[in-house]
Amino acid sequence: MEHIELFFKSIFIDNMVFATFLGMCSYLAVSKKLATAVGLGAAVIFVLAVTVPLNWLLDQYILKDGALAWLGPEYVVYDLSFLSFIMFIATIATMVQLVEIIIEKFSPSLYNSLGIFLPLIAVNCAILGGSLFMQSREIPTLGLALTYGVGSGIGWFLAILAIAAIREKIRYSSVPPALRGLGITFIITGLMAIGFMSFGGMLTGGDEKPKEQPKVEAKIEKKEIKKADATKIVAKNTTLNE
Amino acid sequence: MALLSKKDAALLTDPLTDNNPITVQVLGICSALAITAELKASIVMAISVMAVLGVGNVVISLLRNIIPSKIRIIVQLVIVAALVIIVDLILKAFSYELSKTLSVFVGLIITNCIIMGRFEAFALGNGPWKSFLDGLGNSAGYGIILIIVGFFRELLGSGTLLGFKVLGDPIEKTGLYAFGYENNGFMLLSPMALIVVGIIIWVQRSKNKTLIEEN
Amino acid sequence: MSKRTDSNAYTIIFAMIMVVVVGSLLAFFSSFLKPNIDENKRVEKQQNILYAMGINDNDESNANFISSSFAGQEFSKFVKEQLVLEVTDEKVTKLQTREEYMDTNNGQEPYLIDVKQQQNHAKEGKARKLPLFVGEKDGKTFYVAPIYGKGLWDAIWGYVSLDENMVIQGAYFDHKGETPGLGANIKQRYFMDDFIGEYLLTDEGDFKGVTVAKGNNDPKNERKTDYKVDAIAGATITGDGVTAMIKSDLQLYVPYFKSLKN
Repeated sequence: MEHIELFFKSIFIDNMVFATFLGMCSYLAVSKKLATAVGLGAAVIFVLAVTVPLNWLLDQYILKDGALAWLGPEYVVYDLSFLSFIMFIATIATMVQLVEIIIEKFSPSLYNSLGIFLPLIAVNCAILGGSLFMQSREIPTLGLALTYGVGSGIGWFLAILAIAAIREKIRYSSVPPALRGLGITFIITGLMAIGFMSFGGMLTGGDEKPKEQPKVEAKIEKKEIKKADATKIVAKNTTLNE
Repeated sequence: MALLSKKDAALLTDPLTDNNPITVQVLGICSALAITAELKASIVMAISVMAVLGVGNVVISLLRNIIPSKIRIIVQLVIVAALVIIVDLILKAFSYELSKTLSVFVGLIITNCIIMGRFEAFALGNGPWKSFLDGLGNSAGYGIILIIVGFFRELLGSGTLLGFKVLGDPIEKTGLYAFGYENNGFMLLSPMALIVVGIIIWVQRSKNKTLIEEN
Repeated sequence: MSKRTDSNAYTIIFAMIMVVVVGSLLAFFSSFLKPNIDENKRVEKQQNILYAMGINDNDESNANFISSSFAGQEFSKFVKEQLVLEVTDEKVTKLQTREEYMDTNNGQEPYLIDVKQQQNHAKEGKARKLPLFVGEKDGKTFYVAPIYGKGLWDAIWGYVSLDENMVIQGAYFDHKGETPGLGANIKQRYFMDDFIGEYLLTDEGDFKGVTVAKGNNDPKNERKTDYKVDAIAGATITGDGVTAMIKSDLQLYVPYFKSLKN
């Protein structure tokens, strides 16, 4: 159950592109053609699905405060979390380099059309973001980390698919010349992001309980006094050290 | 500019307009969206990127002949991450206040694709002096866009510039607010940064027709 | 690029040298600078606690700590006692004074207790140590409690000072990596000052907490008993994080404050 929940949450509510604005560079630059977009999207899913669980293992057994406990009780005191950035990035860069070599071997045409953006997956903030979110949200198990990686990847894939499809359509409409290409893509992405905010509302809205109305009367008297108190405290803060 | 040959000067000035990293090369967008809600953060980010890209480009350029091509991505990332982390540690030890302001940017700098992008596209194939100029030029071009976006988002979104209330006080209803003007809180949200950049691109390409793309 | 650098042997040797060089550089800097960094962090904790008590160098609109060179001196002047509560399953099982705590913990000062570590202990079902700093200023007693949680990107934390009725007297928030200009603004005066005067308990004495709420039509925060402060536009998740850490961490102190009354 929690797998399904996390999966859909990472695709729609926490969508990498539209909710956290990660992975924008390659998203904007490689979305011209549907075919290239699908290729890059698939690569991102793959890299996220591999790096998030890998980095989860790294974090759990090497980097976290006290994570070295499995080596023996004398290692409990070590906290290597200052290394997490560089370790995560090293894992990611290794995976990306691997993907680059594989794609170059099996699909030279895709390799050529991805151009500079293939190595840039390594700094695609969506990938590092995935690992850092995994760390800061304290995802409890390896399985969930995998679900999270795949989910975020699919979310990114859907986003680039959608914009690529829109851009292919736009080719037949008369956009002002100066806005053609990149300009209109930026603006459409902005509008799509506003649309995606409605998913965010699904979580934050509706948890307000409509109770505690009847108590209002009792509290009105207090109000004045407390405001006065508060101003006094603020004033005190400002005039200190005199 | 007498110091610089014409070619070298172009390395500095091209990225400001015709080959701008954000509006033309599409690099470094994430950070441009994330931190431009405030003008001050935009300026800090612009300066930090300039320092990192300038130094990083030189280092990569010096090492360009000994880096094995198979693992160049890892090498590049490790070098830039190590540089940034060391600077962060030194600041933490000797200038804690400053480090608190800057440490938020550490992650954003390491993953900023403008840095990797320039390593890959320029520093790997050119000498240190040229790479240094290229680094400065590109980060300046990046900074200009950041500052423009930050200016409009802070002014229209919170009615302030660098924290100063230039349009009056929205709560006390002074200045512009006395006439019924309201801040547009929407400007503070990231989607609006995309739209502002879109408009900048529109303005830029209306002036410079050579940049106009086919659909 | 020359052929030489393409061979596998060269690649592997290069990678190994790089790992050793970069690794030892990082380790060197990190261990060499550690005493300085730890000292800075210690002073900052003192400044945080003093800030929550209202001892700071605030000007018109900016939050400023007192200078780090006075922090230690002012800290020992204003903070009279550092209590350590031990909590298991939300019940206080032990209460130690500063001296008792230091005797049993190799002389570690209670304000250096790592809140995150203690939260993890609680998760594993072990006892959690809760520090509570009792300060006195202008004849008034302040109870400062640390809180810790997570925002959008990374950790957020803070110190809240309370009076005996658990009414907030001051708050300080900080963060590791929230978005500059949005979530990072939780450490701005206008956000932190909003908490002053807010009630945490209902009239019946139940814990309710303070919610960082969007659009509560009270930007000047005149209603102090609505258990709400105005959120920062564009920083929903950071705001929710602040709400959550106030709820989860300050709740644990309720039994202690109840015992103060009796």
